[in-house]
Amino acid sequence: MRNHQKRNETIQMIHCYKLGGMNIVLDIYSGSVHVVDEVAYDIIEQYEQGDKAQIKARILETYDHVSEAEIDECFSQIEELKQAGKLYAPDTFAPMAGTLKQKTAGVVKALCLHVAHTCNLNCSYCFASQGEYQGDRAVMSFEVGKQALDFLIENSHGRRNLEVDFFGGEPLMNFDVVKQLVAYARQREKECGKNFRFTLTTNGILINEDVIDFSNREMSNVVLSLDGRKEIHDRYRVDYAGKGSWERIVPKFQQLVQARGNKNYYMRGTFTHANPDFLKDIEEMLSLGFTELSMEPVVCAPDAPSALTKEDLPVVLEQYEKLAELMLQRHREGKPFTFYHYMIDLKGGPCIYKRVSGCGSGTEYMAVTPWGDLYPCHQFVGEERFKLGDVWKGVTNHEIQNEFASCNVYSRPECKDCWAKLYCSGGCAANAYHATGAITGVYEYGCELFRKRMECAIMLEAAKTLEA
Amino acid sequence: MMIKTLETKNLCDSAKNGGCGECQTSCQSACKTSCGIANQQCENKQD
Repeated sequence: MRNHQKRNETIQMIHCYKLGGMNIVLDIYSGSVHVVDEVAYDIIEQYEQGDKAQIKARILETYDHVSEAEIDECFSQIEELKQAGKLYAPDTFAPMAGTLKQKTAGVVKALCLHVAHTCNLNCSYCFASQGEYQGDRAVMSFEVGKQALDFLIENSHGRRNLEVDFFGGEPLMNFDVVKQLVAYARQREKECGKNFRFTLTTNGILINEDVIDFSNREMSNVVLSLDGRKEIHDRYRVDYAGKGSWERIVPKFQQLVQARGNKNYYMRGTFTHANPDFLKDIEEMLSLGFTELSMEPVVCAPDAPSALTKEDLPVVLEQYEKLAELMLQRHREGKPFTFYHYMIDLKGGPCIYKRVSGCGSGTEYMAVTPWGDLYPCHQFVGEERFKLGDVWKGVTNHEIQNEFASCNVYSRPECKDCWAKLYCSGGCAANAYHATGAITGVYEYGCELFRKRMECAIMLEAAKTLEA
Repeated sequence: MMIKTLETKNLCDSAKNGGCGECQTSCQSACKTSCGIANQQCENKQD
């Protein structure tokens, strides 16, 4: 990475890295991506810091085959890119960071409905404490869910697309209410000119033909929890008798996905200290016929047995690179698959508002408990201090909401010099809170993983583009 | 010598018409525990 600060305080940032046999240069503030040869890579790294004559001399000394004219041509190309605002672009976003987020202030567009604070599995690594979120077991009534949907519609103002995730615990333990709420939302969306997109996140135990028909008709997305290899999955994902769930759920997931056609789904795994070599679990998912995959690092206390350790980190980083290689190989063979964190659309990705503002937790996005209480997101449920209000009175804890509203990538000093900041927008507030005690902190372990994922994702896009 | 520039969204331009908010909430789709925004699709018809 190279951060350049000029005398007039204009800040520029590039990130140069080598991966998949390519030399890649990212220009952070324009969002540009360049694939360059070895000599151009060396020149770009030095260009803004050194005297051009000295750079030329160093390049001539290092590379026997390069002529002065070729170096001059490279200098010209760099200058053209600078003029076009695609290399060493200045940071023009910092002064407007706060106002960018203001544009979406007061609008709610997504709810995570905790329709069941109970679960039919007893996974010891569960961030939701087996679905109970450090509280009592409960299911959401239709009346509470209905009020939550009304709250969402009323506070969505001009937004047309509204998202609701049926979450838990295990939401299928309250499936009748899920069905009633979807029917209610479908009725309201016509009256209000809204478009509801539903997601169901399930462990699969209660999937049956009714669930499959309903989900494939009504759910824009279905998230299915599977950790990959049977021995890995059954280590943590057990029932209350301690019996693994892999054999019960895999055929159900296969049936659901087969019936789903082209609609979105994710096979979502968690990797832990037990399987930092999670590529094997991805391969297992592929061999079971699943192609839309997500694999997430466990979220737990640092002293938990499942917690990823410092020693796991290099293994995990290597797995991400090998995963990218596998994806490229399968892409070339005409057998592509999707990895959630490697989906990146360089042309159609998020605008600068989103890149600065982040996930929207506590402002655009909130979680609703079975009792109708509002929290900034599902990971804060059970943390009483973060309770925002309820679905009847709306947000009443403005102090906490303002904390979330003021969170943006420029409000985190640790992100200042990070090249990935406009790809992650400061990261997860819950992860930051659990790691540092402050939502404006950063979870550095997660940052390391994120940066590697972005390098891999961009490399994959670059390779596909150049090979097309 | 080669510099190949890929076609990307111009972030400066997106400051003009962006921020419509119609895109998906980052955490809603699959991860739920380790969000970033890079893999989100823009749904702004004007951007």
